[in-house]
Amino acid sequence: MLTIALPKGRLQKPVLERFAAAGIRPDEEPGVSRKLIISAGPAARFVILKDGDVPLYVERGAADLGVCGLDQVLESGADLLTPIDFGFGRCRLCLAAPRGSKLGSQSALGEAAELGRSLRVASKYPRLTARWFARRGVPVDLVALSGSVELAAVSGLTDAIVDLVESGRTLEENGLVVVDELLQVSARLLVNRAAYRLKLEALLPLLERLG
Amino acid sequence: MRPLVEPKAPLPGTQDLLFEAARRLRRCEAALCAGFEQAGYGEVIPPAIEAADVFGPEAFRALDRSGKLIALRADFTAQVARIAATRLAGMSPLRLYYRGSIVRRISPDTGPVYERLQAGCELVGASGAAADAEILGLASRSLDALGLAGRARISLGSTGYFSALAEAAGASERLAAALHDAVDRKDLPGLRALCEQEVPAGKARDAILLLAQPPRPQTAANEMLARAEALAPSDDARQMVQRLSAALAATRGLELEVDLGEVRGLGYYTGIVFNLYAAGSPRPVGGGGRYDTLLGRFGDPRPAVGFSLDLDALVPLAEFR
Repeated sequence: MLTIALPKGRLQKPVLERFAAAGIRPDEEPGVSRKLIISAGPAARFVILKDGDVPLYVERGAADLGVCGLDQVLESGADLLTPIDFGFGRCRLCLAAPRGSKLGSQSALGEAAELGRSLRVASKYPRLTARWFARRGVPVDLVALSGSVELAAVSGLTDAIVDLVESGRTLEENGLVVVDELLQVSARLLVNRAAYRLKLEALLPLLERLG
Repeated sequence: MRPLVEPKAPLPGTQDLLFEAARRLRRCEAALCAGFEQAGYGEVIPPAIEAADVFGPEAFRALDRSGKLIALRADFTAQVARIAATRLAGMSPLRLYYRGSIVRRISPDTGPVYERLQAGCELVGASGAAADAEILGLASRSLDALGLAGRARISLGSTGYFSALAEAAGASERLAAALHDAVDRKDLPGLRALCEQEVPAGKARDAILLLAQPPRPQTAANEMLARAEALAPSDDARQMVQRLSAALAATRGLELEVDLGEVRGLGYYTGIVFNLYAAGSPRPVGGGGRYDTLLGRFGDPRPAVGFSLDLDALVPLAEFR
């Protein structure tokens, strides 16, 4: 039995399409009932999770494999195999600041030095943000938020934000501009390290059909 | 009066073992140690603290009163290497085993630590396929002794081959680390992108791309090893594949998978490396490999190979009849 962690969000539809093409279809459509575990034929089942919880379920072996964005994989710090890049769910994790602000107009991180204090940055991705700034030797005062991150920079809570950018419209409508790019994101297949070896016979053909 | 001790539970990453849990642990240890003794291995009990430079950055360190850096045991193998290279210098081959707990920091830049119970064996002063096979066989029999026969797998690779490829490709330390990470995660798209951007086309690049291939059962491994050998860009790399093939050939009757992407291990592995997996554990339950340069750090350069078992993962899975 293979347990597959399926993300709840906008990745769900394309993920189900890829698994269907590989011969694994849920016995009922997710979301129709409130079931969180949906069987998919005799040899597989889906567990339905918030995107950000997928890496931990797979790392700890409650799911053998799963799908979520590379942003969530890296932010979780989970120890996993990531053999397939599905190519959909593309977006960028970006540093953005208010248009017209020093940071927003001059793009250089060196501007942070002129503030005379640590750069204040809000994000839903504290780990990735901290690591990115640390590698550049820039001290940062991180504010970890759970939503409406744009508001932090607009309201003056922080100097900048780190958030996912897809079309850029949300940023634009809130008067923010992209300063730098931290990460190119797309949907990844995650596989538990032990399951990869112990369920190799079931996994290999599936990986081939998915990839 | 002294105030009450505030944290009433053990620190995260540590635990108390009571009664039945303690009994199970001792029973597993006894079964393992009996097997080690039977194979001609003798027990060593190193101290719980050491000079800090015996271990890597994963060790939890503190200053002693004279300002010297000391560390809690983070790894038995380094301690056994120290013992073998000093008090037992020149005696070959040495067959040593140990059991006890290690303490490591979760990552080099975080404070929190975890404690793990281990048992393991080191075969010192023996190079060659027979020694590799002896250790692989003993690791496999150890899992059998815990009642895990048929529920466990051994995945064999070679860090030596990876290192030789990275060197032949002229990879910087940063690039080698990035390649290692991609291989370790079986991240073929990431590995391909890195190779296309930073590794010049040629045998080394093709060989590196082969590392993210899925594992092969022993019976089907020869074809992959032949390809790896044909692509070897240096004598060093060729030798590493040949040693892996020889170790595999010497482990007759043992079920193994060959996975050239099995490159993980503490920094000192130089040749074959392997991980053990058992149904019911989401992480490896043990692992080992060849470390031919570690004893040299203590002044007695001799080859060695060994393995350790993660008892925290294994004890709950063990079945005794």
